[in-house]
Amino acid sequence: MKKFNIIFLLIAALSLQAQSQTDGSSFLNQTQFKVGYYGSLLFDNGLNLGAEYQWKEKEKVKEKKKGQKTIRQQLLFNGSLGYSTNFTLQTDNGLQTYYGLIWRRTNHKRRQINIELNPLGYYRSFLPEAFEVEGNEVSKVRFPGRSYYAPSISFGIGRLRKKKRNAGWYLNFNYSMRMPYNAGALPVFSIQYGHRFNFKNNK
Amino acid sequence: MKTTILNKLTIAGIAILLLGIFSCTKEEINLNELDETIFVRHKGADMPAYIHGNGSEKVFLVILHGGPGGSGLQYRNNTIKSRIEKNNAVVYFDQRNSGNSQGNHSEADVNIDTMAEDVLALAKVIKAKFGDDSKLFLMGHSWGGALGAAALLKNQEDFTAWIDVSGAHSPKGMYEQYKVVLKEIAEEQIALNNNVIYWQTVIDLVQNVGQNYSVDDFFMLNRAAHAGERKLEEDNIANKAQIDDSDDNELILNNPITATWNSNGVLDIIVFKNGLWENVSLTDRLSEITIPSLVLWGKYDLVVPTLYAQEAFDNLGSEDKDIFIFEKSAHSPMDNEPELFADKVIEFINGH
Repeated sequence: MKKFNIIFLLIAALSLQAQSQTDGSSFLNQTQFKVGYYGSLLFDNGLNLGAEYQWKEKEKVKEKKKGQKTIRQQLLFNGSLGYSTNFTLQTDNGLQTYYGLIWRRTNHKRRQINIELNPLGYYRSFLPEAFEVEGNEVSKVRFPGRSYYAPSISFGIGRLRKKKRNAGWYLNFNYSMRMPYNAGALPVFSIQYGHRFNFKNNK
Repeated sequence: MKTTILNKLTIAGIAILLLGIFSCTKEEINLNELDETIFVRHKGADMPAYIHGNGSEKVFLVILHGGPGGSGLQYRNNTIKSRIEKNNAVVYFDQRNSGNSQGNHSEADVNIDTMAEDVLALAKVIKAKFGDDSKLFLMGHSWGGALGAAALLKNQEDFTAWIDVSGAHSPKGMYEQYKVVLKEIAEEQIALNNNVIYWQTVIDLVQNVGQNYSVDDFFMLNRAAHAGERKLEEDNIANKAQIDDSDDNELILNNPITATWNSNGVLDIIVFKNGLWENVSLTDRLSEITIPSLVLWGKYDLVVPTLYAQEAFDNLGSEDKDIFIFEKSAHSPMDNEPELFADKVIEFINGH
């Protein structure tokens, strides 16, 4: 687990460094921020924040009988931070952050589909009061919880707002694995629904 | 613009932080109405214990779930919740790699020995939290009966008494017993003209399974035992299992997907890889359990046949022991005859 943590921190640091060297206005042009619901609707619910930085973009213009249709394909760097909890029992409190790539296709009706691959993911559970027992000794655990490597993939849809190039709603179905979890790994399904926006408000 | 972004991100960060703080804030403990979730960390596992009910007398009924792979809160139902929790506190414990337990341990750490040590660790935690004067009654149902016995064989000091409910203290002999009991009950029900077609398939199954234990055959008989109990309920031989709707839906809120995944994992390790039903028997050591004991069983228990009730009672080493057979119950008397079940448990706890 320590190995994963170190790799994660290194890449996060590199990513921050790279972003700090980018021209400010260009960075904001190329970046969409997102905020939304994150959870499984039934068992745990929370909030997710993130950013997507456009790496590559390709536009295809197709001539159709009804006129021109523009299809945009993008590759974006993705970073996300979310917290969810099952409020009552507090057995499922946790913070998840992940980093990866998004492929997104936007059609001429502003409808989007995207696939995310997030190989760098980290989940930290937060437990309520916990006690550790070693032999006959019982001690209270400080900051109880555990860290897991948590890569994920997502499939999603969305739609851009009218006359906006980088703002709109999204709905992602996310599948991640927490590992090592107990004697194996734990699959986790979650839904992300929210809004993407761009501070430059570009059209 | 940068200031605006920073402001917005700061607000979002504070919101998340507050969400975390409020979700983790502990209220002062009210012993009269305990409603606590605590975790026991032991040998790589973090295992939740949900503590509910009246803890004013510091009397705790610790329930060990069945399975392997059940979950503690599945017992927070019927009269355990409505009556026993009013009499004393009840501790619903998710065992290692079960329910919503989490952690990082190897498959080698998932065995009856380590899990029995987890139970002893739980007892130490309850006493550390609520005081050494706490009285703990250990109750094991089905697989929990095997686990509870295994824990007591390691150390009985922390427990006031033992309640064995349909406990599988000798999984090793179960395969042969299934063949005998299922054949007997099938013939009995056919003679009564009850669900004749079904019971005939049970007789056929018993005749066709292998002479020696195999996991596949064992589970065919185990499934037939569970299904047979439902048939007995249909024909009013046993009472229908009552599961009242928990008003706060804790089982749902407690992520059954995680619990099911864990359940499959522990079942695979303990049953398939470690051969629970092939190798484990504690019958010869039950005499070492000397704390007061109560044996509760359903007359129509096909899953852990009723023969084991008498075997447990006869072999327990306690001088203060009792047995009660529920006449209209199958494997889970707490669901088949909940009122009588609560009567027996409360009477035993208050008498000790």
